Amino acid sequence: MAAKRVYEVMYIAAPEMDDEYVTKLNEGIQQQIEKEGGTIVKTEVMGRRKLAYPIKKKTEGHYTLFEIEGSGQEILELERRFRVNDDVIRFVTVRVDEERKTAAKLTAKRENRQNRRRGSTSSFGDNQNQEAQNNQ
Amino acid sequence: MTDIKEKNDDVIEDLNDIDLGSVAELKNERMPRRFQRRRQSQFVPDYIDWKDVDFLRRFIPERGKILPRRISQVSAKDQRRVAKAIKRARSMALIPFVTD
Repeated sequence: MAAKRVYEVMYIAAPEMDDEYVTKLNEGIQQQIEKEGGTIVKTEVMGRRKLAYPIKKKTEGHYTLFEIEGSGQEILELERRFRVNDDVIRFVTVRVDEERKTAAKLTAKRENRQNRRRGSTSSFGDNQNQEAQNNQ
Repeated sequence: MTDIKEKNDDVIEDLNDIDLGSVAELKNERMPRRFQRRRQSQFVPDYIDWKDVDFLRRFIPERGKILPRRISQVSAKDQRRVAKAIKRARSMALIPFVTD
């Protein structure tokens, strides 16, 4: 496996669960991911939120977001666990490394262009300054 | 000849984005046409975060449908990215599929 992949995994836990249970679940996920050789870059507990539409007759849910770096193997296991667990009412995995890379490239490109536009005038001034110094 | 001239008139009105209601009344031999006002082109960042509900909401009118490109005025590339982000957000119940 050459490059590490970055995933965003978000899941919704049933609203009946209390915060304690959710933290425990998150800890379990973290342990499992690390056991499989992945690393959790970020854990964001988004808390209780209203669902935009009912899922399994529930109108609320505990949202949690992970950012996981790894080969993809650990995601497979994680998703299997989500499917088995009835307290998880919805989950989604998005691979983000490639989109981020293209976005970074775009940003770099734009900055480059701006720098060139701005830089051309300033470097011109620099040259003049240098020439002036040389003359002195 | 007159046909062409009339067409040209149409194009100009279109470009200026004039509310045609009053104009159509004056030239009532022409079919009334509906015009939807275009929105100012939205700034679309390089990375569209599918979790950024506040940003995505700008592309979702009341009904919950994705704003078409002819109205949102963003590039085809950006529209695809926005649409994808909206669909991802929908799957996680961050954004509704439909609102009645």
